[in-house]
Amino acid sequence: MERGGWRTRSTHPDWLTIISLLDKRLVIVSGKGGVGKSAVSAGLALLAQRNGLRVLAVEMGTGGGLSTHFSTGPLQFKPREVRPGLHALHIVRSEALLEYLSMQLRLPGMGRFGPVARAFDALATAAPAIREIITIGKILWEVREDRWDVVIADAPPTGQIGSYLRAPLSITELVPSGRIRDQSAWMAETLADPKITQVALVTIPEELPATETLETIEWLTSEQLTPPAAVVGNRILKRLNDDATPDGKAGQIASLHRSLWTEQQEWLDRLPVDIAVPYMFGLFTPGEVAAHMADELEAGMGAMK
Amino acid sequence: MTATLLVTGAGGVGKTTIAASIAVTAARNGLRTLVVTVDPARRLASALGVEDLGDEPQPHDTEPSLWAAMLDSSASWRAVAIRHAAPEVAERLADNEFFRAASEHFPASQSYAAADQAATFVQAKAWDLVVVDTPPSGGGIDFFAAPAQMADLVGGRLLRWITGGPLPGRRFFYDRAAKPMLRIADSVLGSDLLERVAEFLVDLRTTYDGVARRGREIESVMRSASIIVITTADPAPVREAVRFYRELPNLASTPEAVIFNRALPNEWSKQSSSPGLSAEMNSVVEMWSAETVRQRDTREGFSARYGATVATVPWSTDPPTDLDRLASLVGNAVGIPWSNLGIDISP
Repeated sequence: MERGGWRTRSTHPDWLTIISLLDKRLVIVSGKGGVGKSAVSAGLALLAQRNGLRVLAVEMGTGGGLSTHFSTGPLQFKPREVRPGLHALHIVRSEALLEYLSMQLRLPGMGRFGPVARAFDALATAAPAIREIITIGKILWEVREDRWDVVIADAPPTGQIGSYLRAPLSITELVPSGRIRDQSAWMAETLADPKITQVALVTIPEELPATETLETIEWLTSEQLTPPAAVVGNRILKRLNDDATPDGKAGQIASLHRSLWTEQQEWLDRLPVDIAVPYMFGLFTPGEVAAHMADELEAGMGAMK
Repeated sequence: MTATLLVTGAGGVGKTTIAASIAVTAARNGLRTLVVTVDPARRLASALGVEDLGDEPQPHDTEPSLWAAMLDSSASWRAVAIRHAAPEVAERLADNEFFRAASEHFPASQSYAAADQAATFVQAKAWDLVVVDTPPSGGGIDFFAAPAQMADLVGGRLLRWITGGPLPGRRFFYDRAAKPMLRIADSVLGSDLLERVAEFLVDLRTTYDGVARRGREIESVMRSASIIVITTADPAPVREAVRFYRELPNLASTPEAVIFNRALPNEWSKQSSSPGLSAEMNSVVEMWSAETVRQRDTREGFSARYGATVATVPWSTDPPTDLDRLASLVGNAVGIPWSNLGIDISP
């Protein structure tokens, strides 16, 4: 099946059931800290890989969240195949900067210690829109490559995501003309193109993450930097239909479960959750969590359709 | 003598609430206590009486030894840099578009401003205890690293290369050596981007002495403070907690304890299915038992690996709408090393 924006596409019989999120070339996954952003990113990447897509998973921050979910040790700037058909990389700013200067801006004489590289490095430290555009630029160049069907970015928390999404526009405002400006304009367009880019916001139905998610959706909508976000609700409890109150520990457990469920419902009423991921009880390793996450996302996306 | 307690940890683990709970407990045990809070949930802000307050400490309406202040999340190191600049440089900086962009988006900006403000409260010597809830930006570690980063930013090696030599305000080297180089690069890029940024950096550089001095003061406040790390047993916040245990000894001091919030009671771990209950009920009980085991193993692993003092705060679904409920949060905690924090808890 040929769809807009895809140059090549593996055809897998189950593909049609995997809709929406993975239908884009770039999925930027964000959320308030601690809501399971990296687990969802890793789960999406595994799900896409299982369905025969050529996937690049990108770790944008420094927390190492993505690499632990692939159980592969620290990721490098050079993409590494962590599962057949699934590559992952970690954006190291200094290396991304050199690549940007030599390959994208085609500046001559780009050694690591060359004077222009040093000037740029100082500049990237001090002028943050530039630091962020190097990161977001690296992702967008990978998106443009023929190597990947989908790029999944485990992005910084919602508190910081705005400065990344806004960076290309900030640069076009600061720089009136020239190569940097042209590329920034291209980046801004790519981020805003609903056929290419999708932001996924991971949240859990509790006061602070839910409030932050609603604020982020409002901000994304008003700024029009990217298409409206898809919301992944994580750690959703199932309703306990049995209304008995047993004695002892079972009763305490039932009571905790019920009051947590009630609080979650209050926030689920206000949150536009597209994919609901159940609470995962008693899982130990991030690797186990990521594999379960892929199963749950698949089920959730089926329900979405 | 003002004792300082820095409460840190990943976002979303209940850090702000536990910091407030500790402060209320300390106040009720006779310490004049200031809690400095960041972005509290609405109900917590209301309980603390900081809903409408700015960054000035306010005495609590009903709790005589408690003060609360909210860190100004819009404050930035822009104000700090301008404070340390000569008047004409300050004017140029304030007008510089890169400086404005930088002060808005520099991730450590809020952390630096928060650390600066917190240090100011400690230096005021008006309280027995200052409890500081640290902003979660940059994984929270930024709060501790920001003063040094700030000094690096205005005095780092790369900046020295552009601006030339250690003398503040010296533009000679820049005009003679760096500027022509940047012009060449700019002509390739088709703009005067680099040159404009460098002009701003040269001005910023002149603030180095003042900024570095203030940075050292802030660092010394942090080094003499006690630190508590808050986490839940979930992998992401635990990873953050590990990072604090690894990095804080170099930046500030070794944490006194790690508090696992949302702890389930250990006795739930040995729950077998019971014939008197429905299959649904048995399965819910079994799931929470598995979760209890996972939590306990995570805590024991952390304690064994990092030699950390581990405390637990039970999972509460009771929102902290008033000070009593807030205090009961750490009132029900197990293992908090109160005396190491300089807080005497009366029985």
